[in-house]
Amino acid sequence: MTEQTTIMPLDDVRVLDLTHLAAGPFCTRILGDYGADVIKIERRETGDPSRGLPPFYKDEPGTERSGLFMFLNTNKRSVTLDLKSDRGRELVLELARDADVVVESFAPGTMDALGLGYVALKAANPRLVLTSISNYGKTGPYRDYLGMDINLYGMGGNMIGAGDFDHEPVKTAGRMVNYHAGYVAALATSLSLTSVELDGQSEQLDISVFETATHSIDGRLGRLMGYEHNGHLSSRPTRAAAVASGAHPCKDGYFLITGGARFLPNIIRMIGMEELLGKPEYATPAARANPDLIDEFLAHLIPWTLDRTKAELRVEAEKHGVLGGPLNTIEDLLNDESFVAREYFQEIDHPTTGPVKYPGYHFVLHRPDGEDGAEISMPKRRRAPLLGEHTDEVLSGALGLSVGEIERLRADRVI
Amino acid sequence: MTTNGREPRSKLPLDGIRVLDITVVWAGPYSTMQLGDWGAEVIRVESTKYFAATTRGQMARPPKEVVEAQARAGGMGYPDNEAGERPWNRSAVFNAHGRNKRSVTIDLTSPEGQEAFERLIAASDGLIENNVPISMEKWGVTYERLSKINPRLIMVRMPAFGLAGPYKNYRTWGNHMEALSGHPLIRAYPNLSPEYAAGGVPADAAGGVGAAFAFTLGLRYRRRTGKGLMIEAPTAENFVPLLGEYVMDYTMNGRVRTQVGNEHWTNAPHNSYRCQGEDRWITVGVWNEEQWRSLCGLMRQENLVEDPRFIDMASRFENRHELDSTIGEWTGTRQPHWLVERLQAAGVPSGVVMNERDALEDRHLHERGFWHSLDHPEAGNYRHVGPAWKASQTPNDTPRRHAPLLGQDNEYVYKTVLGYTDDEYRDLEEKGQIGMDFAPEVP
Repeated sequence: MTEQTTIMPLDDVRVLDLTHLAAGPFCTRILGDYGADVIKIERRETGDPSRGLPPFYKDEPGTERSGLFMFLNTNKRSVTLDLKSDRGRELVLELARDADVVVESFAPGTMDALGLGYVALKAANPRLVLTSISNYGKTGPYRDYLGMDINLYGMGGNMIGAGDFDHEPVKTAGRMVNYHAGYVAALATSLSLTSVELDGQSEQLDISVFETATHSIDGRLGRLMGYEHNGHLSSRPTRAAAVASGAHPCKDGYFLITGGARFLPNIIRMIGMEELLGKPEYATPAARANPDLIDEFLAHLIPWTLDRTKAELRVEAEKHGVLGGPLNTIEDLLNDESFVAREYFQEIDHPTTGPVKYPGYHFVLHRPDGEDGAEISMPKRRRAPLLGEHTDEVLSGALGLSVGEIERLRADRVI
Repeated sequence: MTTNGREPRSKLPLDGIRVLDITVVWAGPYSTMQLGDWGAEVIRVESTKYFAATTRGQMARPPKEVVEAQARAGGMGYPDNEAGERPWNRSAVFNAHGRNKRSVTIDLTSPEGQEAFERLIAASDGLIENNVPISMEKWGVTYERLSKINPRLIMVRMPAFGLAGPYKNYRTWGNHMEALSGHPLIRAYPNLSPEYAAGGVPADAAGGVGAAFAFTLGLRYRRRTGKGLMIEAPTAENFVPLLGEYVMDYTMNGRVRTQVGNEHWTNAPHNSYRCQGEDRWITVGVWNEEQWRSLCGLMRQENLVEDPRFIDMASRFENRHELDSTIGEWTGTRQPHWLVERLQAAGVPSGVVMNERDALEDRHLHERGFWHSLDHPEAGNYRHVGPAWKASQTPNDTPRRHAPLLGQDNEYVYKTVLGYTDDEYRDLEEKGQIGMDFAPEVP
């Protein structure tokens, strides 16, 4: 950790961030994590609508009180700007001239209507990457459809297979489908930067949340090919799908186990019933595939799990090579021995909340010399910006505007 | 010339980049799939003596009872539910994420295999793996060693919980990492035991995207410094930010949310609703009054707009169960696509809960050219997803190559890339180092 002159891969990249809500900010948050200078343009007075979304600190709404916003906007600078004013649009074009990437997540057509479409941005900066994230993409019959995370997961993910057959399909938590799309957008942006560096030609990326879900390995990609291979349509299970599989009750909660004919022997050894493996009903994979064993084996397994805590079961699973994990709460996660030992969660100070813990880096870089395998000292994240906190700094620093010009813009309600 | 006066690019951004792939199950293979989609030459390093369960199927040669059990448990098995002569080339999941990749067989437990591996490392730009660290150490696949062979190597490692720490060698899949990270307990039904908690593995999906992104950052770092890099991307740690607002609610407010199901933080209606037909559903998520009035109008229940139980968002949220029953009565006798077309036309956020057939027949995806057919010599002709996004200046006709048969590219890798002579190659074949079949004793 002694290396002071660490290069972060994106610390020569400037991102002009015109995104709001979940998917776009998740993308620029990750670009910021690895060094990019992210200038976030926010609406005057109200800012990114996610500032108005829960969870709020102490459950009291307020522009600087949303935990969602604080989480999604670390390492960014906030500039308030009226995009609908002529001068505001000009300032965006001037900022784009000096940026490598513009990321936007407006409904398709909005950027064009603002005079900030790809043609205008490209004219300002012929080497620009314009990353456009939308629910359904820039073309096609659903282009103007509206979508919340639940709608997009239902369309693109394996929601039809999520939950119990006699009940409604359930979504993934929170805004996960949007976050996933934002992550894909970060990957796409990084690859497009490579292309632009090679030949100097600008590019627009069209990222559809619906398509990034349909494309994804979250149960969907393989199942689509499964349907192509044998016509199987996914649905929610009516009972434990495979022998020993399921979220089983234990002393202090539930413990998830993946079973099936292939993995059952280790589970049998874990519960100390090796003698079963000597019986013809359990001796071979073919025998263990018998659906009648599902209930029979649960009668062995569940009394054993009920006798143990989640933590004890985790240790047993690891010891016996059983695929399993505890159904933790978020509190359990924050106190989990691995996440604690690795100092995963990061404390970030904020004027509203004081120091609180945030999720850590998605991945960490290690030094190239390979001698001690030490991590490159990852910079400490900067807290999410207050609304307009960096307006003056960016306009004077990046655009060279004088104090007088900035005051005039403020008086004209452009910034 | 295109209308904007520029030729489209003839190259994909990763053309000329060679990535070795020692990935298993889903998350790792999805990362190299992304890289292969955008031009990298991805070479899967596999062994005829070791079968990683659920990468090329659950077992090398599953008996028909196991194939049938797999079909009952959720599909993703084999063409026509027949494992065939070489089941490892017919697995649906592998045939999905294996596209655009090559396969070479190298036995890392033998000196000959280690020699071939070292030569291949010297000839490559990167290596991605997602195995238990203890296995990688046993096979000598560590950055310390490999960076001495190739200092420009970019190595992305995706252990479940980390290369160090108490869970270093705790072997799990994405669903178990998610369980440990809190996801299934959050998405469990509000009124049912968590035993009914849903599966699904966004952790694997995000793990794949994250490792691919990490690799591109490694390339950028190398362009700028001339040096390679090791990136540690534990799949569980990579996933936790996707639960960001739940983490914040706990660290800011001490609140532990569980069994949320389809409930939104503040909005209602926000659920899936049963429609006419077998297991047919739509989702509706309303976020403002205008959408709510439109929904009432479509249901021909304008009276609900003035109903005190539903008069504003807070009231609707309070009375969400009654609201869900009312909407469910309306949707229950109507077809999902019919409903969503009208809901969206009226500006109500909604969608069909699509099964696989819906997705493959979807008119939007078709118009956007999302599906691509590809022949596979041992599986058949099937439709694949295209690239995950569109790049205006970079046409991408991916997938270009079918998922590789085991050892399909042995000649290319040993002779063309590594310069082995015909005699040396034959010798390795005779020793069982090179082949296209798993050894008979492999389970």
